[in-house]
Amino acid sequence: MDREPALARRRWWIIAILPVVIALGTLAGFALGGGGIPSFGMPDPVTEQGRRTHTLWQVLFIAAIGVGALVWALIAWSVLRYRGRGDTERMPSQKAYNIPMEIVYTVAPIIAIIAIFIGTVIVQNKNSALSAAPDVRIEVTGYQWQWKFDYPADGVTIIGTSEPGADPEIVLPVDATIRFDLKTTDVIHSFWVPRFLTKRDLIPGVHNEIDVHTTATGTFDGRCAEFCGINHATMNFVVRVVPRAEYEQWITEHQR
Amino acid sequence: MTAVLTPDAPHAAPATGLLGWLTTTDHKKIGISYMVTAFGFFMIGGALAELIRAQLWSPGSTLVSASTYNQLFTMHGSIMMYLFIVPFAVGLGNYIVPLHIGAKEMAFPRLNALGYWLYLLGGLTMISGFLTADGAADFGWTAYAPLSGSSRTPSVGADLWLIAIVLTGLAGVLASVNIVATVLAMRAPGMSMFRMPIFTWNMLVTSILVLIAFPVLTSATFMLLADRLLGGHIFDPAAGGVPILWQHLFWFFGHPEVYIAALPFFGVVTEVLPVFSKRPVFGYVGLVFATMFIAAFAVGVWAHHMFATGAVEVAFFSGLSFLIAVPTGVKFFNWIGTMWGGNLSFGAPMLFALGFLVLFLLGGLTGVLLASVSVDLQATDTYFVVAHMHYVLFGGSAFALFAAIYFWYPKFTGKRLHEGWARVHFALMFIGFNLTFAVQHELGLQGMPRRVVTYPDNALLTNLNRISTVGAALLGVSTLPFLWNVYRTWRRGEPAGDNPWDGHTLEWATTSPPPPHNFDSLPPIRSNRPVWDLNHPDHQSPQGHAR
Repeated sequence: MDREPALARRRWWIIAILPVVIALGTLAGFALGGGGIPSFGMPDPVTEQGRRTHTLWQVLFIAAIGVGALVWALIAWSVLRYRGRGDTERMPSQKAYNIPMEIVYTVAPIIAIIAIFIGTVIVQNKNSALSAAPDVRIEVTGYQWQWKFDYPADGVTIIGTSEPGADPEIVLPVDATIRFDLKTTDVIHSFWVPRFLTKRDLIPGVHNEIDVHTTATGTFDGRCAEFCGINHATMNFVVRVVPRAEYEQWITEHQR
Repeated sequence: MTAVLTPDAPHAAPATGLLGWLTTTDHKKIGISYMVTAFGFFMIGGALAELIRAQLWSPGSTLVSASTYNQLFTMHGSIMMYLFIVPFAVGLGNYIVPLHIGAKEMAFPRLNALGYWLYLLGGLTMISGFLTADGAADFGWTAYAPLSGSSRTPSVGADLWLIAIVLTGLAGVLASVNIVATVLAMRAPGMSMFRMPIFTWNMLVTSILVLIAFPVLTSATFMLLADRLLGGHIFDPAAGGVPILWQHLFWFFGHPEVYIAALPFFGVVTEVLPVFSKRPVFGYVGLVFATMFIAAFAVGVWAHHMFATGAVEVAFFSGLSFLIAVPTGVKFFNWIGTMWGGNLSFGAPMLFALGFLVLFLLGGLTGVLLASVSVDLQATDTYFVVAHMHYVLFGGSAFALFAAIYFWYPKFTGKRLHEGWARVHFALMFIGFNLTFAVQHELGLQGMPRRVVTYPDNALLTNLNRISTVGAALLGVSTLPFLWNVYRTWRRGEPAGDNPWDGHTLEWATTSPPPPHNFDSLPPIRSNRPVWDLNHPDHQSPQGHAR
């Protein structure tokens, strides 16, 4: 093994460590900048369940950045530090094993995996729990290529039409637990409101229900997420979350 | 009994030219046939992808109809998964595995030829759907029931697709039986299992995975064909059938399939890195066991594709999916450990192998995010998954595939591809790939489902889609310098010699291209890199006992 001047070696170290520095610096910047931890591409959630998913996503994403930056730094270090500089005859070490290190890089990921698995199960158990007494129940029926929404307790039914730009709209009260009862009359569809940060399939022979607890008012897009045939791309709907009084009024107006 | 044939009796003169290729049982010619055919399908599948990206340039685009679009993405996915990436690996295995173990042929040469012709027939059957009145299959490469039933998808193209799956599935099983038998029975004296090159180890493990997974898909396909053509009701909910059964059967094939499409290319990278680092594979035994663990886990995680169905035990499948990150991480450390302390040179195979390391890492990390159930419920069936899967299979497998072509092209042809054009190819492909797929992560999270012919008219989605389309154009263009490189090398390439890279493994001990019987003589096999030991007597690998 040839020996290089310490100064030259330190320079490679700096270049290789760049991915880690940039990753940590970016995170520190967000934390100190008062903007809080960024969403990393995930939309802002408007439900309690979505909030949990959002937090889990942030934690996992930061962990992924950390692992990614570390591995990329090791790759960059190997490439920069050990690149041949014309001395093709230099014979490097032929050592092919380092048992302690091999144990470390096998065990360390297992520990990391256990930690994120526990986080995943905790969030998922909370998010998939069904309330004993939801405030509103909505039966969602998907069919090629529209949606039907029934509020059985109030006698309200919203049926989508194929008119362009006239997506069916459902109205929900804010700060309430909503039960979606998901059914299909033909092929598989999937009920997805991106701002809820969740989706669930509508499958013949499978009875699916999800609860969401609304936390913010606003108008949110919803769409079919499981490919269901020719008009899949336009099988959209709109969710409008409003204050309780406005919701009651909407229900009254739409009762049969 | 007047004449007794001696072993030296001359055979009939082997056919040459076109007839020679049609009738050959030479594993090298069959391997080349597989690879050339697969590359042809790659270009067809790539052209379909360019049309998909062109359609998504603007919301509400009418470049192609919804019906055509559905055929495009179905056939793009099907061609890339069933006709390109895995058959290319089979072809590479066919060519390299016997050379790696010092054999003169595959165990079953004629079965080998049959497998290739079944694959070609199946591939042509699948794309012939475009010639029928209703066009090709249009239910996605996953063919979910009941959409894929005869009442929802009555087209002949769908039947042709299913028949093609049976044919190519059978081809895959035949090829895998052959590779397993070859590895177990045809190794040269001294070539113990733990002296086999990692690529050959990975082909063995891949082949075992094929034997586990493909028959399940073939059976499911027959069930769907029975529903469609014979009035069966296996997946028909109206008659008491169970549509979700299709998903279980499909993904019991489909998840191992991902590793079938990845492990051979992990093997390629593990061949390239040591040669271009002048080092042995770091942690060889750990690497072999990591491959086995990946394969074992791969058959137990199918339902992580089905979290959103609400009909599977999510914690089990989530946990097992996370666990795959451990042996995959081990592989990364093996690859880094191989380069660590080496004397690296950056020929074209090394560039593509490094591209693989950088990009596949990202695909692996998003895979871990997707294994987390709550996150998956937002990301599944969106462009996030499209991006993840392309980082694994294109950034991973396809980059390694090109590393393999540049690495072994001198062995295949005796000529070496041009380095300058290879660098142009790599740069365009790397930039084009990342432009195309990096932005798709955000597209998906922000609300764009996969398999949509159009999307809501808002600035964010439109801009991200346009970046992706520009990237796809660049990615398409990146193939041109490669094709030119192959053409110019074929016309006037410089002779490469038998061992242009100072290779480690037995294929470099014979001529380029190898003779029909592969080897005139073999060097002593005392480690996992006999040719290195022969050429560097002062720096041989430790010669432990044969395990």
